[in-house]
Amino acid sequence: MEKKKEGCFPMTLLEATGVSKFFRGLHAVEDVDVRVSKGEIFGIIGPNGAGKTTFLNLISGTYPVTKGKIVFDSENITNLPSWKVAQKGVARTFQSIQLFNSMTVLENVAVGFHKNEKAGMLDAIFRTKRFRKEQREAGERAAQLLEKLGLAAFKDVLAKNLSYGMQRKVEIARALAAEPKLLLLDEPAAGMNPAETQSLLEFIKSINREGYTIIVIEHDVKFMIRLCDRIMVLNYGKKISEGTPEEVRSDPKVIEAYFGSGRAAGQGGV
Amino acid sequence: MAYFLEQLINGISQGAIYALFAIGFALIVGVVGLPTFTHGEVIMIGAFGVYYCTSLVSGNLLLNILFCFVVTGLMGVLIHKICYERFENAPHYIPLVCTIGVSILVKNLAQIFFGSETKTMPPLIKPGFFELGHIRISNVQLTVLGVVIALSIVLTLFLYKTKYGRILRAVSQDKKAAALVGINVQRATLLGNVIGCGIGGIGGMLYAIYYSTFSPTMGLGVAMKAFASTVLGGMTDISLSAIGGIAIGILENLGIMLFSSSLRDLIAYLFLILVLLFLPYGLRLKGGRNR
Amino acid sequence: MTTKWNQTMDRIRQWCVRYRTPLILLLLVALICFPFVVQDNYWRGVTTKIILYVLIVSSMNVINGYSGQFTVMQAGFVGVGAYTTALLMTQGGVSFWPSLIASGVLASLLALFVGIITRKMSGLYLAMVTLGVAEIVRIILLNWTSVTNGPLGVKGIPAPKIFGYSLGSSHAMYFLILILTVLMIFCTHRVIHSKIGRAWISIRENEHAAASLGIPTARYKTINLMYGAFWAGLAGAFMAVYYRYIDSTMFGLDENFNILLMMIVGGMGTLAGPVAGAVVVNLISEVFRFAAEYRQVLYAIVIIAMMWFRPQGLIGSLEGGYAIKWRRKRKGVFR
Repeated sequence: MEKKKEGCFPMTLLEATGVSKFFRGLHAVEDVDVRVSKGEIFGIIGPNGAGKTTFLNLISGTYPVTKGKIVFDSENITNLPSWKVAQKGVARTFQSIQLFNSMTVLENVAVGFHKNEKAGMLDAIFRTKRFRKEQREAGERAAQLLEKLGLAAFKDVLAKNLSYGMQRKVEIARALAAEPKLLLLDEPAAGMNPAETQSLLEFIKSINREGYTIIVIEHDVKFMIRLCDRIMVLNYGKKISEGTPEEVRSDPKVIEAYFGSGRAAGQGGV
Repeated sequence: MAYFLEQLINGISQGAIYALFAIGFALIVGVVGLPTFTHGEVIMIGAFGVYYCTSLVSGNLLLNILFCFVVTGLMGVLIHKICYERFENAPHYIPLVCTIGVSILVKNLAQIFFGSETKTMPPLIKPGFFELGHIRISNVQLTVLGVVIALSIVLTLFLYKTKYGRILRAVSQDKKAAALVGINVQRATLLGNVIGCGIGGIGGMLYAIYYSTFSPTMGLGVAMKAFASTVLGGMTDISLSAIGGIAIGILENLGIMLFSSSLRDLIAYLFLILVLLFLPYGLRLKGGRNR
Repeated sequence: MTTKWNQTMDRIRQWCVRYRTPLILLLLVALICFPFVVQDNYWRGVTTKIILYVLIVSSMNVINGYSGQFTVMQAGFVGVGAYTTALLMTQGGVSFWPSLIASGVLASLLALFVGIITRKMSGLYLAMVTLGVAEIVRIILLNWTSVTNGPLGVKGIPAPKIFGYSLGSSHAMYFLILILTVLMIFCTHRVIHSKIGRAWISIRENEHAAASLGIPTARYKTINLMYGAFWAGLAGAFMAVYYRYIDSTMFGLDENFNILLMMIVGGMGTLAGPVAGAVVVNLISEVFRFAAEYRQVLYAIVIIAMMWFRPQGLIGSLEGGYAIKWRRKRKGVFR
């Protein structure tokens, strides 16, 4: 497993300043500042209800922020609608799988290419050269993606007929099809057994080596420690810790959040 | 000036009838969770209800109110059985299409059994006026306003002071959460539908009394008035729907002072479009509802 | 009992899908030969009407079936198209072909308007709004006497001419609508199998996820409405020159529900569904001509029965289509 050197991510890809989200009396996310550098794997962990998915939703434009600013690749994307954020280069997967159930695996992935395809309606009707070229290239890229994720055999299976683990992979493939600058993964390992989790970990690392910046939310803390370059810990909507996996696992605030501050807390780290 | 005030009173009275249509509709849409195409026909049945009850039995107002409520309430039970009961988890267009089917069914059966010509109501309310300075309010208008106000009070008390009212409100806010706390959602939607239809039926009764003439094909027009009234409240807010109804009533009556009365129906539609254009979520906050 | 029915229909459907290319060619040949083989004017008229409805229902299917937007105003688009052509030809002396295009464009503009006012609305309410807009169109057509001649309608619409040659005969009309309809299905097939069609279907399946992939969903929904409306407008233009007379009663609520019925019976979300629906419903209505009053009652019962027992329509499959997974859950996966 490669170890990255400290401080080798100079360029900031995503910067969130003072980001807060209040839902009618509930502070889902409160005053979070974070910087994610280009090329890193950034993890977000925290107990249930800590605001992790909400924070991701704020980045991806699913919810508008109540306060704060989000800057992506030097552009202010705060409160942009989610399709605009996606067009700027952010792709995501969801906690509960959101596939296009009546479409096949291949078709699901094909939708991922949408924002980069230029051919319009008239091109489609007249099957112009531009259209045919784009379709051909999309077909090739889709085949490569499916191959990479081990889904090639399932390309004509309807998404709803796949097993849970396969569906997760299709969602990731679809997000990758959009060739994002930033990939947001919301609990990608949910429901996976240890073997699948391990292969997912290797997969994420391999696409990270290809240059994707990734933000991951997960509950499996051991998984996150092995995977991430840096981790942020949320609790009750607030950031309580941030740093390398080693720093975070020994941070007493984090231990307290997970285990409480009683005697049990002293008997084992995270 | 007096003419203007009288038109205003006309507007408020007619608006009160629309408000009743809208309240029933908003209640159904809120509790069931889907818009329905049947409300126009429910109102129509209410109109026929008062017609037959007055012609064949008695012109007693209270009796007619009860009769119309019961008849349309039963209709609500039937609608629930056909359109909602078995489709609890189905894609939403399925029960919606069923309501379209029921509305076509009821409309055509009414034409077959009642005859498709326009009917005239036998007099129910003693003709007469109440004078306030230079302005006259007819007994009919007073009755309409009285019934609508009384019903609104009863409904408000029911929704906010009784256990069943609370159940209906809970279901209209979040079905899943309601189920989790042990509410029988099916029965709640049945109750909501029955009450909403009953209120619509009384609205139809008032319509027949006020306008004296009505026909089996009146359903679409009144359904659209109901729908237009509710958009101010995002289709589910009862008080805003009532306000919308009164607003449309007033606008219609002021409008025909300015243009010809054949375009009267257009006013409600214009209201609908303008509200949607500028207030796509109605007057309520964005995304207030959970499903 | 219903299960056996469903299984049989699905087996037929699978067989048809396997052999669809030869079947389509066979159908086209039959349709081309039809007016030369069948001399009876009445049945020629019925077939022309069926093909017209295939066009109209297909245009509605693009909207309701592929992008999942539940609208009930297709007759309104047809009406706009019909009146556009009728008025341009009778009052403006314009020839048929530019009127045809104008009809499509004007219907599209109406759809654009509807798209704009419903952009932030939940899909469920769209149905009622479109009904409202359809009613507005009807009321305007009925009352704007100075332009539309009010309840008297527009009469004396001339036959289309091509290179000076009149296309007024029933033969010519038949081929005109056949060409329009085949053109529509051909274009739609190509659009569906492109990024636009995929975007539409993805919006139907999961609008949220579609947006997360960079698809501007409101824009695509409006484009979808405009596309469906365009072809409906063309259908209206045909109606104007075929019936030579139009008035607002031809485009009202009953007509909207009639089209909806055909779409439901045939099945939403497939190209063949509207064909089956148009054929079946029109043939049934021919059979039940005598019971005119009860015909609508029958329609209503069919609508409800379809929703109860086969919401995917005749052509909708058990595998695809979004009504199905719910039914399977209800009846159990192993049937």
